[in-house]
Amino acid sequence: MEAALLFLAIIVLLLIGVPIAVSLGVCSVMFLVILSDSSLASVAQTLFAAFDGHYTLLAIPFFILASSFMSTGGVAARIIRFSIACVGHFRGGLAIAGVFACMLFAALSGSSPATVVAIGTIVITAMRQVGYTKEFAAGVICNAGTLGILIPPSIVMVVYAAAVDVSVGRMFMAGVFPGLMAGGMLMLGIYVWARIKKMAPQPFAGFREIFESGFNALWGLMLIVIILGGIYGGVFTPTEAAAVAAVYAFLIANFVYRDMGPLATPEGEPNHSLFRRPQALITAWFHPDTKKTLLEAGKLTIMLLFIIANALILKHVLTEEQIPQNIARAMLDAGFGPVMFLIIVNVILLIGGQFMEPSGLIVIVAPLVFPIAMKLGIDPIHLGIIMVVNMEIGMITPPVGLNLFVTSGVAGMPMMAVVKAALPWLAILFVFLIIVTYVPGISTWLPTQLMGPEIVTR
Amino acid sequence: MSTWQPKNGLARAINNIEETAIAILLGLMTMITFANVIARYFFNDNILWQLEATVFLFAWLVLFGVSYCVKITAHLGVDVVINELGPGMRKIFGLLTVAVCLVFCLLMLKGGWDYWWKFATKASFLEVNDIPMPGFLQFLADLTNDGEAYEKIPRYIPYFILPFGMALLTLRFLQAGYRIATGEADRVIASHEAEELVEEASAKNKADGGASPKATAADDNIFADKDF
Repeated sequence: MEAALLFLAIIVLLLIGVPIAVSLGVCSVMFLVILSDSSLASVAQTLFAAFDGHYTLLAIPFFILASSFMSTGGVAARIIRFSIACVGHFRGGLAIAGVFACMLFAALSGSSPATVVAIGTIVITAMRQVGYTKEFAAGVICNAGTLGILIPPSIVMVVYAAAVDVSVGRMFMAGVFPGLMAGGMLMLGIYVWARIKKMAPQPFAGFREIFESGFNALWGLMLIVIILGGIYGGVFTPTEAAAVAAVYAFLIANFVYRDMGPLATPEGEPNHSLFRRPQALITAWFHPDTKKTLLEAGKLTIMLLFIIANALILKHVLTEEQIPQNIARAMLDAGFGPVMFLIIVNVILLIGGQFMEPSGLIVIVAPLVFPIAMKLGIDPIHLGIIMVVNMEIGMITPPVGLNLFVTSGVAGMPMMAVVKAALPWLAILFVFLIIVTYVPGISTWLPTQLMGPEIVTR
Repeated sequence: MSTWQPKNGLARAINNIEETAIAILLGLMTMITFANVIARYFFNDNILWQLEATVFLFAWLVLFGVSYCVKITAHLGVDVVINELGPGMRKIFGLLTVAVCLVFCLLMLKGGWDYWWKFATKASFLEVNDIPMPGFLQFLADLTNDGEAYEKIPRYIPYFILPFGMALLTLRFLQAGYRIATGEADRVIASHEAEELVEEASAKNKADGGASPKATAADDNIFADKDF
């Protein structure tokens, strides 16, 4: 009863425009103070413990920082050039290249809206120039952009891992196959569509262009090798991998691509050479561009972590009151099996995902459904992937998916036009969701192969 | 989100301090963690205090930065309902929202203060696990430890951010309330993290002439969207 009231209060506060973090925090604090006579000081301690007790969460600021350094226009443009060289010559090639570019960029950044902005601004314009309709372009990118949270590294996965104490490395590995599969299904859909519509293919750019553009993009793409390779090779912990990735991204952006920092020049001019300006080795660390990127990444970190910290207070309430356990018992008594449970989880997340930022939603829902899922014998990693895929779809489900907003801004189209444009491709992702939900092997096979069977304590 | 502009010299100076502090905290966290990896692989050494220092900087970054994020209206929220309201109702909801936020801040300020005060007075001898006490801070030993030198930094130093951050947060929400009351702003939330990027992109669309007049019309539509 009190639990229902708690969640109702949170939802009402969210809807009247209270920040997510404060809604979670204020309801949990009230609950703790009034119903379980905890002291305010112990709540403050829980808030502080969100940072000094969860080492996993430390990876988030570093991943955000790495992708901020990598999200400079230059890296996206290089990835797009490489993608077009690889798959541009198929029918519907530019659209397929757009999806491919989104997949590659997703591997550098952990956020979907950021992927849509970075790839969308360039690809949507390019697609229109070669004669695709704006609707087609926007619909494809809007969907492909959601891969940002499924293909590792993904901030949402780190949040899930921290919220329910599973291994981040495993979650990342589990995202690889579903990510490739979702991208593949989208590309296949576009190819079939292009065959039906008889879209003209582009000329093949030649292997030389593939190698050249590939080499050019390689510096950026090495980031994913560092992160995944580093974690699986046992070289770093995920947090260290993220910090190394951030420093690597900084060095690449400043000294190799030179899109920012002391060696950057206005667009069109050749960049300064490091040999001419060796002092850049020092000044880059204090350059205004560096500070700006740190600040941008810092802002995003603060926003997300404040939500997560407050959600951890809520989790504290849930655990103390045994709320998930009670719901689980009620569900088992009512005769619900895993299938029914997963459908319920799907529905909750699809609805929630429309209104809320994915990390915020996952950190609220995960502690609630996780104990239930464990009772029902669902694999924790598999559950995580299901939640992430749900979140992806929530972002592009009308009326208010986040990616729809972003795409409408990037493509310069009204919301409703984007919704309509995204629908056919949304259907593909829906089929994908059903497959992922009911075939656990897609998610769990790779981590089990690489890291051994996981130990689940129920 | 990007509507905030410093109004005078003092505001600009404070803004500068806040932004620099956020950048430095994040930069330090990254460098310390990176340095530890280097130390381990290249010098077969370990910076013992790395992890603890990083998590404290992390806590400082977030708890210090939340007030800055209120100032620039960067905190995420759900704007579906308030977008559908008329300006009058939106103002009422806005003020209500600020009231809820203030309740939260004041409760946390009290909690944070209580928690910190315990470590600053009764338990001021308690030290953190790994971070050694730098010499220039040893004067604190006379103040809080009966002159006995601290080996590690006392716990009340990292915890200080709890009451301090919450006090700043309270202040910023009061300011946000004032902005809403005077009609300068109508909400304390942003709907998603990429708002600024999207605005930039659509502004760019506009500047490029959007390739067709139709695109420009649609751009206008987005801005109209924000205003209804």
